[in-house]
Amino acid sequence: MPTQTARWRALAALLRPDAWRWVGLGALVACGSGLILTGPLIVREIVDRATAGTTTGQLTRLAVLFLIVAAATQLINMAVAWVATVTAWHTTNGIRLRLARHVLGLSHGFHRRHTPGELIQRVDGDVTSVSDFMGRVIPRAAGAVFMMVGMIGVLAVVDWRLALGAVVYVAVAVAVVIRGRHRAVGESSDEMGSYARLYGGIEERLTAAEDLRSNGAGAHAMWRFVEDSADALGSAVRREKAFLRMWWAVDGSVGAGSVVSLIASALMVGRHMITVADAFLLFQYVLLLARPLEDMVDQLETVQKANGAMVRVIDLLEVEPEVRDEGTTLPAGGPLSVEFRDVAFDYGDETAVLQSINLSFAAGRAIGLVGRTGSGKTTLSRLVLRLVEATGGSVLLGGVPIEQIPLNELRRRVALVPQEVELLSGTIRDNVTLFDEVPTDDAVASALRNAGLVSLADGGIHRRLGAGGAGLSAGEAQLLALARVWLRDPDIVVLDEATARIDPATEAELEAAVARLCNGRTTLIIAHRLSTLRHVDEIVVLDHGRVVEHGDRTDLADDIDSRYRHLLELALDDEAVAP
Amino acid sequence: MSIWRLGWRVSQHEPRTFWTGYLLFVLFFTFPVLSGWLLGRGFNALSTGHNTRVFWIGGALVLCEVARMSCIHIGALNWTRAWVHMQSLLRANLLNAQVASGGPEAGQPVGSAGEAITHFRDDVEDVTMFIDGFVDISAGVVFTALAGLVLGSVDGRAALMLLIPLVGVAMATRTLDARIKRYRAADRIAASAVSGLLGDVMAAATTVKVNNAIEPTIAHLQKLVDARRRTAVRDRVLDESVWAFSQGAADVGLGLVLLSAAGAMAAGRFSVGELAVFSAYLGWLSFLPRMVGRMLARRKQVSVAFDRMSLLVADTNANNTVTDRLLPIGLRQHRARPLAVRPERVPLDVLDVRHLTAHYPSGDGVHDVSFSVRRGSFTVITGPIGSGKSTLLRALLGLAHQAEVTGEVAWNGNVLIDRGAFLIPPNAAFLPQVPQLISDSVADNIALGVIDEAQLSLALELAAVLADIEEMPDGTRTLIGPRGLRLSGGQRQRVATARALVHSPELVVLDDLSSAVDIETELQLWSNLAAVGITVIAVSHRAVAFDRADQLLRLQDGHLV
Repeated sequence: MPTQTARWRALAALLRPDAWRWVGLGALVACGSGLILTGPLIVREIVDRATAGTTTGQLTRLAVLFLIVAAATQLINMAVAWVATVTAWHTTNGIRLRLARHVLGLSHGFHRRHTPGELIQRVDGDVTSVSDFMGRVIPRAAGAVFMMVGMIGVLAVVDWRLALGAVVYVAVAVAVVIRGRHRAVGESSDEMGSYARLYGGIEERLTAAEDLRSNGAGAHAMWRFVEDSADALGSAVRREKAFLRMWWAVDGSVGAGSVVSLIASALMVGRHMITVADAFLLFQYVLLLARPLEDMVDQLETVQKANGAMVRVIDLLEVEPEVRDEGTTLPAGGPLSVEFRDVAFDYGDETAVLQSINLSFAAGRAIGLVGRTGSGKTTLSRLVLRLVEATGGSVLLGGVPIEQIPLNELRRRVALVPQEVELLSGTIRDNVTLFDEVPTDDAVASALRNAGLVSLADGGIHRRLGAGGAGLSAGEAQLLALARVWLRDPDIVVLDEATARIDPATEAELEAAVARLCNGRTTLIIAHRLSTLRHVDEIVVLDHGRVVEHGDRTDLADDIDSRYRHLLELALDDEAVAP
Repeated sequence: MSIWRLGWRVSQHEPRTFWTGYLLFVLFFTFPVLSGWLLGRGFNALSTGHNTRVFWIGGALVLCEVARMSCIHIGALNWTRAWVHMQSLLRANLLNAQVASGGPEAGQPVGSAGEAITHFRDDVEDVTMFIDGFVDISAGVVFTALAGLVLGSVDGRAALMLLIPLVGVAMATRTLDARIKRYRAADRIAASAVSGLLGDVMAAATTVKVNNAIEPTIAHLQKLVDARRRTAVRDRVLDESVWAFSQGAADVGLGLVLLSAAGAMAAGRFSVGELAVFSAYLGWLSFLPRMVGRMLARRKQVSVAFDRMSLLVADTNANNTVTDRLLPIGLRQHRARPLAVRPERVPLDVLDVRHLTAHYPSGDGVHDVSFSVRRGSFTVITGPIGSGKSTLLRALLGLAHQAEVTGEVAWNGNVLIDRGAFLIPPNAAFLPQVPQLISDSVADNIALGVIDEAQLSLALELAAVLADIEEMPDGTRTLIGPRGLRLSGGQRQRVATARALVHSPELVVLDDLSSAVDIETELQLWSNLAAVGITVIAVSHRAVAFDRADQLLRLQDGHLV
């Protein structure tokens, strides 16, 4: 957990890329505060001259000047809002992209621990809280500080005692308002919680409406609603009480300020220390303080939320990726050989997932990996893409140790077709290219055709798919995953066969597309149905994280004692029984 | 009924709380008139050197402030209560219409609960904001009238000058408020595009990684976040303009007063005290026009909100959203769990279904189905997917709300007028194909009201789920999680079966069980039901059901074959 100062330092680091924008914003805010303080000064001048006796023309000119200042103040306020929002979003969009890139680069294990919903919240939701803080709170707080400092400065010129009084007053008012804040924030989140329960309950009852109707349970459902509403009412009243306390503090401060300033002015005017016009200036300045004090109440929640969000953002950035990208060696072009040298893998506990794996596949060969669930097939295939890092031994591609190959190069040349195809809501093109703008539409369409999705390619690749790929069958989704690989033309393909049942026609299409894809590449196929291994050159049988058999497919199939042969026979039995 | 009448009815749900909050809020707004006037007197006393008088006025100001805050303290607490009471009335009417079993209050069921919830939240909010706006306007009118009197007596011409910025504020607020809503909607769409993409790529992180697509994905994300930055900036700047306008109006007003009073001031006819009164009032004066502008923008929204809410209630009549009802949600109000309102039990001799036809707008349905069910018999309905089995059961029970239903159902020869209201426990009970449970205990899900233990365990035993429940640490008090997701699919189905059986209904209607329970369980269930001699109509595809059936109905394309 970073300390408070470390967090501020981290925040400053995040602001640095946009430092000049922030400085410009600061200047604008200072101008605005200056103008706010100028208005009352003009009024003082008017009062001064009016008491001393002057011409209408002079007063009119001052009144016009006052109008101009008032208009300029509002224009600057709008400019501040504009620049602040633009800057805040610039900076936080930078943070969003940085976080998204960072999180995508984190290991498979990290993504299994955190749901997509949680990651959206951390990459976008938390950053939005920070953005609100930067765009709203920081400029207002800065404006308030500038204004108070300026005010005290102006008062000091008038009379040092007024300035001293103002310092004491501001300090007391701020302290009083801050004291009530934690409680108000707590009550407010309680209220949000009880409303979430109320709406959650209503939604559930609406979903179950038919069940409730047909069971005559209306009265029961209404009773739970009444209880939840009573709870909401109680929490709303508690929240209101907490906020009223702060309201007392703010309004009390402003009210007390105007009474004290009136009395102090009377005493000082009486002793000729200040003029009546100065007294009026003081009175107007006290009224000006109401806004920042009210803002303190309004923005407390934003500050609280942003504080928590900032901590989470920084914590997330500090999660180290398990796989480091430090390699510089590029393997030779063309199909690559794959070699495992005494490879071991475990998740940091006692049980080894893989141990002493020694395998060597020549470039361009097709290899089938078979074994029971948990035998280590999937882990073995992940090692080839560095989705996980071997805990012992080394993996070599084209003779180069895998950690010496730059990640970008590795992922360009090695492709994986995962078991579960993950689709995005977007166009067909987006789903094939994954937002890469380089491939032409023709290249995308031809990849789809090669993968056996002729009708999809002909139907236009800019059609949108629904959420989660709605509109595609499981078989089509598999073929689309092949098209992704086809488009990238890799040298090694790792194919984790789908377990989902697909119809026979699509299955035949899939088999043909896989055969086309394997041609001229080194291919590792993790098979769940042995029938799909008809075209591979070699078979590796894994059991409990060890290689128990490796050889040419035809040899093993002919060998009556081989494990592969044994598995083939079992599979035949099973497939005969299955419907 | 106009939105004014509807709003009035809502406001009069808890009249005492409402009027207390209302009057105190209006009273609260009259204090600034007094304190502004006192300040003016104070400055006059100060400029003429009457210091003792300044002290007295200071004291009066303190009292005035304390009275004002006490007023708002009680007023705001009452208003918060009134607010929740008003919202709860609307929500209660909507929800009641959705869960009522027949009767005059039942409304059309809604399609998606996720969408319907926006009526309970946003539309209800719109209506209460409208009523809230009235309170603001009343307070604003009282303040403006009093302040106008004071200012007019000080300097009529200067006071009239103030009308210019005030009318400006009202007009600007009205125009900008409508636009803010549009911009905000655009901003929300841009925001959901960003979170949608993030959700997709986080779910597909491995795919993105192994396809070497991190950088293209980030580039795409950059486009979306840039688009969102633009919508957010537009939204925010407009929002700020509204504030700037009303804030600026006060300053501009003061400038105009100075301008118009310049001559009087030069001549010494306009004192500092008078200037103080003006500047004290100006901050508050823009309140009324701002609220009026806002209300003008909101009026349309409220009428849309009532239209949307009326979709949920009986006869889609907005009047039914404001029906007054007893809702004891107050802090000191007595709450007692109500007894379920159930129809009187009428022992079943024979149920006749005559020429029952139900057509959905999509064209699906059942055509002219007639059959009879005797007491204690077991009727099985079967047929391929989409042949109309579920529709037949729903039409029979009066649950096929979206369909056009003709034909009749007679209970012991008496034709049922409101089937939805009569065919509920203890007369009939229904188990849908995909039963919905709620996040409560097992017991509450089954009883849906008050029930004794013996009845509960009997139902659990009949539904063949007693052993499962007894294994759970809290037994029938086990909480089953949102939508019952802590139970397995089969357990959910059997708990729902127990729910259908718990009131020992005369007739039990079970939609397809086969998909969720195994063959042994189904067999056991049929034997249990036969043992207690209950009358059953069930959909099934299994031979175990056909073997026991007294009557087997086969449906094909909505016809009985």
